[in-house]
Amino acid sequence: MTSTSTTSPAGVGVSPRRRPARRRQPLQRKDTRAALLFISPWIFGFLVFTAWPIIQSLYLSFTDYDVLTDAKFVGIDNYLRLFEDPKVAQSLGNTLIFAVIQVPALMIVALALALLLNQAGKRSAGFFRTVFFLPNMTPPVAIGVLFLLLFNGNQGLVNDALGIFGIEGPAWTTDPGWVKIGLVIMSLITVGGSIVILLAAIRNVPTDLYESARIDGANFWQQTTRITIPMISPNLFFVFIVTSIASLQTFTEAYTAFSNTDTTAGFSNNGALFYVVYLFQQAFSFLNMGYASAMAWILFLIVMAITAIQFAVSRRFVYYEGEQS
Amino acid sequence: MKTSLLRMSAVAAAATLMLASCASGTGGGGGEATYDPDATLEGTLNITGFTSTTDEIASTRYDLAVAAVGDGVDVKSDESGFDIQSFLAAVAGNSAPDLIYVDRTTIGTLAARGAIEPLEACLTGEGIDTGAFLKTPISQVTLDGDVYGIPEFNNVNIVIADTTLLDAAGASLADVDGSNWDALTDFAQKTAVVDGGAVSVLGYDTKMPEFFPLWAKANGVDILSADGKTANLNDPKVVEAVEFATGVYESEGGFAAIKAAKDASDFFGSGNQYATNTLGAMPMEQWYANVLSDVSPDAALDFTTFKSPEGDVVSYSSGSAWAIPAGSSNKAAACRFARTMTETDSWVAAAEARVAKYADSGSLFTGLLTANTEADAEIQDMVGTPEGNFGNAIAATYEANDAAFTVAGNPADSEFKTAWTDAINRVLGGEATAQEALDQAQTEAQDALDSAWADFGN
Amino acid sequence: MTSLPTVAPALALQGDGGNLGAAPRPRRKPVVKRVITTTLLVAVSAIFLYPFIWLVSASFKPREEIFDNSLIPKTFTLDNYVSVWQDAPVALWLGNTVLVTVLAAVAVTISSAMVAWGFAYYRFPGRNLLFGLVLATMMLPAAVTMIPTFLIWNNIGLTGTLTPLWAQNLFGSAFYIFLLRQFFLSLPRDPFEAAKLDGASHWRLFRSLAVPLSKPAIVVTLLFEIQASWTDLMKSLIYLRDSATFTIPRGLKTLLDQFGFGGERHWEIIVTASVITTIPMIILFFIGQKQFIEGIATTGSKG
Repeated sequence: MTSTSTTSPAGVGVSPRRRPARRRQPLQRKDTRAALLFISPWIFGFLVFTAWPIIQSLYLSFTDYDVLTDAKFVGIDNYLRLFEDPKVAQSLGNTLIFAVIQVPALMIVALALALLLNQAGKRSAGFFRTVFFLPNMTPPVAIGVLFLLLFNGNQGLVNDALGIFGIEGPAWTTDPGWVKIGLVIMSLITVGGSIVILLAAIRNVPTDLYESARIDGANFWQQTTRITIPMISPNLFFVFIVTSIASLQTFTEAYTAFSNTDTTAGFSNNGALFYVVYLFQQAFSFLNMGYASAMAWILFLIVMAITAIQFAVSRRFVYYEGEQS
Repeated sequence: MKTSLLRMSAVAAAATLMLASCASGTGGGGGEATYDPDATLEGTLNITGFTSTTDEIASTRYDLAVAAVGDGVDVKSDESGFDIQSFLAAVAGNSAPDLIYVDRTTIGTLAARGAIEPLEACLTGEGIDTGAFLKTPISQVTLDGDVYGIPEFNNVNIVIADTTLLDAAGASLADVDGSNWDALTDFAQKTAVVDGGAVSVLGYDTKMPEFFPLWAKANGVDILSADGKTANLNDPKVVEAVEFATGVYESEGGFAAIKAAKDASDFFGSGNQYATNTLGAMPMEQWYANVLSDVSPDAALDFTTFKSPEGDVVSYSSGSAWAIPAGSSNKAAACRFARTMTETDSWVAAAEARVAKYADSGSLFTGLLTANTEADAEIQDMVGTPEGNFGNAIAATYEANDAAFTVAGNPADSEFKTAWTDAINRVLGGEATAQEALDQAQTEAQDALDSAWADFGN
Repeated sequence: MTSLPTVAPALALQGDGGNLGAAPRPRRKPVVKRVITTTLLVAVSAIFLYPFIWLVSASFKPREEIFDNSLIPKTFTLDNYVSVWQDAPVALWLGNTVLVTVLAAVAVTISSAMVAWGFAYYRFPGRNLLFGLVLATMMLPAAVTMIPTFLIWNNIGLTGTLTPLWAQNLFGSAFYIFLLRQFFLSLPRDPFEAAKLDGASHWRLFRSLAVPLSKPAIVVTLLFEIQASWTDLMKSLIYLRDSATFTIPRGLKTLLDQFGFGGERHWEIIVTASVITTIPMIILFFIGQKQFIEGIATTGSKG
């Protein structure tokens, strides 16, 4: 078998092309029922916890509801208010800026470290890969705490370290202008997951490609950009999508660091007021469930739009080996 | 087959959806209660927002209150700070606590949502005289003539200064008590030490954004009308006050650097800013004097009242209050508990406990402001007028207590506070000028007030 | 690309891949290159690990020294580890978190495996469409369903309890369904055909054949969900009220509020609690490190 497919030839999920498509055996219907029985937990969960909530949140977005009193239909008022609410604009801006900084940063660092690991011997690579992945296990709450402590403008470790090089570090945790960058830098510590994915992908690139390139006189940089990156582009794309979606919904670290649950007015750094944080405040601190639902739908549309754009753009840049189209 | 299976799933899901019915209101009342100071009470009393173990002032009264409700009542306190989000979620889930202890500025929002109830019946039933309380705390918890909370503690502002730094700058206490803004800025600039973008000595801490109402009032303006209905955040004198107070920060290294320094400081410990001579002066709530006398009694300190540029004593009154949730299951016990916590005898007992404790450790008792005028008078007698700078703290405290003002109670108090806090933060962060920020705050606040008062009537 | 040497498919089948460095190349790997590589790796590792070393070190310092940023504590003290249990119900929090985590992980593994099996083994009309729907749910922002889900639990009366934190896992989760399906797809079909001929029921095929063969994937699922559940903050913020019911991340947040900036600046408590929150995850990692890494690698490569 010289198939280039990556699944075993006689696998469980064997391709339908191996059987005549039209022949419908009596076995098929029993199969269907069994399959649906197995899938039924998900179907139930989907209907109750996904489909219904989607519909209800759309409905709520047209109401004024604070849980203590009945919902009041208010038409598109919430959406109009959304467009006028300076905090929505601010939080959306904060989130987009954050994502635009964080996603490339994470991807570049992940790629760079994966390439670096690839240069190392196997055992040493394995060891360092573990080291890089370890911080991923840290609870995001603890990351939020670490951010507050390490990046404190006065006594934090980061500014101390910068001071050794004679650099005057900004007040990362209190200056709205720097807090996003500070949060991005802190988040780089959790790049281990992406490194693992990219390293595995890099290792799968056939060596002979590099051989031919080397014979043709290509240097390391050219090999990387002309061979490695295109060959791992599906994985890069995967990391890109996953990181973007997560980045647009960033919540825990900023909420931990800057919101004070004792006071409703408590969010101490507007530079870190991200969209989901503000949404959360509206929903659960102010009990403006209708308004928060409208915010959620706007987020949904934005995420879908961005993902669609990413997929469209990927057609040009992502190379799927062995793809029929 | 497949369709019938899907049909079954759909039916099951629909059944669940019936449970999770369309958005209906859940904030039901806990029913009526009768209040009788002689009745024997029973049941459980779940208290949220109060920590009884902070100090003897809290624990003494707590023990008395537990005794007052009697053995039949099982008193449970969750011993953590009040979390408005958890509370509202509890009310929404029909599992409201029976008694809550909250900041007085939260009362309005809670009352507006019907989460807490007017205390008329409780007050008359258990014989609590609102006249016995200081006017400003009562006004904070009164909406439309109904009292929603029983005040506990009154925090007022005094000015605490580091005399070493005062002397070094050739300044006097009068220069930093707010009666001379130019002298204040002068002192701040002379004293502040900024090196490498980090603030190592802070000259003057204007405590923005928290003390915004104080600075506005010092410049002659009430940010909210006495009836709680009209906001006044962008009055030119308010803008002027904000420009001044935030400007002081600018001249000392900028707010971001200052806040970073404050965050990392050992505020409540023996390494506090006064003990380490890293703060020149600031207005502060009077209870901090007690902390200082406890952890760093030998620090070079002096105290005075905060004053307006005209020389009048100005002091912002704040504090906590006991409130009874509408869904409380034991209102009778809640009322009696709150009554005992705030009555004169309990306060006096607490003060005596503190005197005893301080006699052992040698610390000085710098007074206690209870919001209960009778208790205040008795405790003031106990404290006396000791010599020395901490004696000045005591004098300043009681003088400020008499002159205190506050922001009137209103059903949009969280939105109101959020509006001006955000505005000040914008100015501090350099995102807007004082005028722009306050204009925005004024619109937001007035809108919130208008809609909250409109809903409140219904 | 039809003339790939036989090395390629072999490499591709292993999630971990072979080592490019050991490919047929004369052994003239320059020492300089290796030294540079290793130095860089060590330097970067130091940066990655330093915050945690700092954290652990700080937990052994008294309050005044927390910010002195020295790696070895000038004053080594175990006081924090004693007082943190007293200042807050940390033991309770740990217990709650363990309970929720175990329930969540077990529930999601069983249900996702079932659902994944349904998609992997059987063919039925609309299968791909339905699976596409499963995948699509991964893209749904949590914020959209957050409020109505809260309302559902509220109406059932279970807000304030730990149930909402794990009960949804009884219905499978798209990510694990995807992961497990991938794995099931790679199993050989013959044993199942044989068992069917012997009269095994559908459930039997799943339970007694597929599941035992899938131990690695199941372990990966368990480990991932343990980590996700342990570290979750949002659900605990939404549903938990009484501090006795808190999970560890929620508890840490409370400590930060109480003892952090707004509160008494007891950094030593916060730092110690952070260590306590993180250590179990580190231990978990070392136990299941191979599975974690392989699991992630597999996801990424089939994505």
